[in-house]
Amino acid sequence: MKYLSTLIGSAIVGALVFGIWPEMWKSYGIAGGWLAAVMLISIAWFMNHWLGIIHNPSGKIWVDQGWPIAAAGVAWAMVRFGAQPSQAVGTVLCIALGGALGGLAAAAVKQTNPAFAPNDPEPDSGSKE
Amino acid sequence: MAEWLSTYNETLGLYHASVITTIFGGFCVAFAIVICWPKLVETYGAVGGMIGGSVIVATFWLLNHKLPGIGIAPNCIDHPEGGIQQFGLIAQGFRGAAPWVDMGLAVGVGMWVASYFDARKQADNSLGLIAESAPRLFCVLLGGALGGAIVALIGFSGAEL
Repeated sequence: MKYLSTLIGSAIVGALVFGIWPEMWKSYGIAGGWLAAVMLISIAWFMNHWLGIIHNPSGKIWVDQGWPIAAAGVAWAMVRFGAQPSQAVGTVLCIALGGALGGLAAAAVKQTNPAFAPNDPEPDSGSKE
Repeated sequence: MAEWLSTYNETLGLYHASVITTIFGGFCVAFAIVICWPKLVETYGAVGGMIGGSVIVATFWLLNHKLPGIGIAPNCIDHPEGGIQQFGLIAQGFRGAAPWVDMGLAVGVGMWVASYFDARKQADNSLGLIAESAPRLFCVLLGGALGGAIVALIGFSGAEL
């Protein structure tokens, strides 16, 4: 059941993003694209990650709804425009490399940055109670 | 240097400059979301998460994916050597002819990598963590492809979108 809900949540976010985003951009330009993110990503995040429709047990690796959006983009262009999936390889590699480096850098920064200290104390509660 | 940057790589379908911008675009959005989003949720709860989705993703969409703006060229500006001109950091391969690769991939990979290092602190079995995430990863990729493909079917109904 948890895999079915993951599948459904992913299908909905993929459909939302590629059903609406391109039209918003074409109609209202850059402002429409910005607005589309506000409309789509916020409500999709609420469903998929706040309510947990995409199954993410605590203490495990996080599977983000970015994955279905990326898969949806490729599938959408293949069906809609007959694009060749092999042509996407270069961009996929570059983005995945950049994303992995970003994740690595963030993990390294979180080790030392005081905002990510385990107990997360109040900013000014350095003195003892 | 300028010559190398503006050389078109036939294998990847990208200019050398685009390789740099694409990697940097993925890096930026992944880093910002891994760092900011969980903190926003921690601070403001569901509202924080929705603000994160709106403001972080929307603004990074401008950086990574923007194309010519408000009504100027809804069909995109033609590139002198075929395809379309691209203005975002993330370049789509073969001058826009390749399937659209979204910055969501960078976010997914970034969250996956960062949470792997977080989870590894508690669990000793690193391979087990990866194996546990594999079926969920398969489900999200399959589900996303399904949703995107079905939405694309609209085009076969004669609608000019």
